[in-house]
Amino acid sequence: MKRARGGGDEEAPRQNGSAGRRKGDQQQSDGDDGAGAFGPADLQDDDNDPGLRREIRSKYRDLINSVQQNREDMLSPSNNKLTEVLEEANKLFKDVRQAREAALDAQLLVVATDLGKEKASQLFAEGTAFDPTAYAEHLLSFMGLNRLEDGEDDQQNGGAVDGYLPQDAWHRVARRAECCFRTSPSFHYMMGSFHAEPPPPKQRIERQRKAPSKEAKRMMPTQLKKMESSHQEATEKEVERILGYLKSYYQDDPTSPISYFEFVIDPSSFSRTVENIFHMSFLIRDGLARMYLDNDKLPCIAPVEEGEVEAGGSCSRKQCIVAISPKIWKELIEAFDIRDTMIHPPSTQNE
Amino acid sequence: MTQRKRLSNTQSRRQSGSLVVQEEDDDTTFTQPSTSQVQRGLEKLTPAQVDQKTAEVVQYFLVKDQKKIPVRRADLVKHVVKEYRNIYPEIIKRAARTFDQVFGLKLVEIDPKSHMYILINKLEAAEGASPINSPTNPKMGLLFVILSVIFMKGGVVRENLIWNTLKKLRVDPGEKHEEFGDVKKVVTDEFVRQRYLEYARIPHTEPIEHEFRWGQRAELEVSKAKILEFMGQLHEQDPQTWSQQYREAHSVPNSSQPSTSSQR
Repeated sequence: MKRARGGGDEEAPRQNGSAGRRKGDQQQSDGDDGAGAFGPADLQDDDNDPGLRREIRSKYRDLINSVQQNREDMLSPSNNKLTEVLEEANKLFKDVRQAREAALDAQLLVVATDLGKEKASQLFAEGTAFDPTAYAEHLLSFMGLNRLEDGEDDQQNGGAVDGYLPQDAWHRVARRAECCFRTSPSFHYMMGSFHAEPPPPKQRIERQRKAPSKEAKRMMPTQLKKMESSHQEATEKEVERILGYLKSYYQDDPTSPISYFEFVIDPSSFSRTVENIFHMSFLIRDGLARMYLDNDKLPCIAPVEEGEVEAGGSCSRKQCIVAISPKIWKELIEAFDIRDTMIHPPSTQNE
Repeated sequence: MTQRKRLSNTQSRRQSGSLVVQEEDDDTTFTQPSTSQVQRGLEKLTPAQVDQKTAEVVQYFLVKDQKKIPVRRADLVKHVVKEYRNIYPEIIKRAARTFDQVFGLKLVEIDPKSHMYILINKLEAAEGASPINSPTNPKMGLLFVILSVIFMKGGVVRENLIWNTLKKLRVDPGEKHEEFGDVKKVVTDEFVRQRYLEYARIPHTEPIEHEFRWGQRAELEVSKAKILEFMGQLHEQDPQTWSQQYREAHSVPNSSQPSTSSQR
């Protein structure tokens, strides 16, 4: 047992540690038969006890698994776990009798020596050893990890998810790493085909321009027609309306003449006044109203009786142009003291 | 097409005979033409034709380089060079010169056996962050972490070390990652195909384990000295404290061989 441990202790720096262990075991088994306190009878019982065999094999498998799973743990120079594993194996080996267990022992040996080799390389490395765990920690800080200050959270999440990484964490690393790479920049076409051909795009633009203009032209005539018709209708309606006003005023008082100015002028709107003059002119043109000068030589208007239309039509046609400006309009309003319009604006607006 | 066929049919018998065969065959049938064959081939073509073919090769490389997967000579010959394969060395030479003088890139054959080419940047990266605000690829960050671990660990690591380190960085190969998706695939397939990493099986391991090494592209593209510099900044240590790695990084510039003698 002592020799075996001696072999185990020297495992790390020397490769032949395991061999030493082997020798130790052999010496032990070859040598002091009495010291091991194994009688021939005992040996035979142990050999045939399937339960014990299974137990030994299962223990070996456990050992192998523990080495494989906790590899990094064992690699850490801060503990002696590898030595403990080997001591454990030593104890087990004493009971090995059959080939199956020996095979497992050999497997454990392969795994352990591999680990030993890596531990040895750690020892021989000059300068500072590189610890990937510490590296990961530093990287997390570099990536901008926001560590939670709550100790409780750490424990709850098992320490694996404390804090959260920002969205651009890996971009930060990539940016920092860029200068370490001599990557050729990726080639991408800037836009469209490599062989730039101007003509096709231009044609398309021209066609598009032509199409809307045609439609626009087509649109306009119909619109104009509509306008004209509405214009005509509006004018006719207005003229009729004004005729209505004229007749009603005349009927109210057939003897008193209606002053032209008072009739057409809208003191609140110059444009309405002009429209009224315009509409009046239609009435006069069509012979539905007549204008005459009264005693003061001021124009007056009166509707024409239906019977008189044809009679007055042929001989007394006179033309005159009515001109009015805002200035004159205002002077007229003052002169005639027109306060209210006689023709009320239409309730519905055409335009 | 027929015109060119006639041209090449006047070449050596090997060429005309292999024209039909080569449509299906791989690189195995393409043997590098000799200098005299190249000379004869050039005589029969106009300079404009050769320039055109060179330009096509350059364009092919540039587009293929987008994915960073090496270009195989067999593909190049089959898809681009085609009937000009008898002057292939001349075309490659001119293409390399174009890359060098026009683009500032180096055309490198990373595998003389299977004839693979990659493009790397001739120019050193600018000090500090690049002034151009190009979008960063987070996969490069991931690759950088893996390469740096491998380098600091002496050039070879078992895959578990990489997976465990990545797990500490919230990148789990078993789970789908927000940024990288199937991490295992990116690392063991994409990076390997791009020749940034080598992922080799370790014999006699049960269950099967692999180990990671730097790939040929990484050896050419990545500066070990700059990685060490970053390590120093991160750990707030002098890079020289990692003496072995320091030696390796500064011994031979961009050499794939680890240094054996100590030079400081």
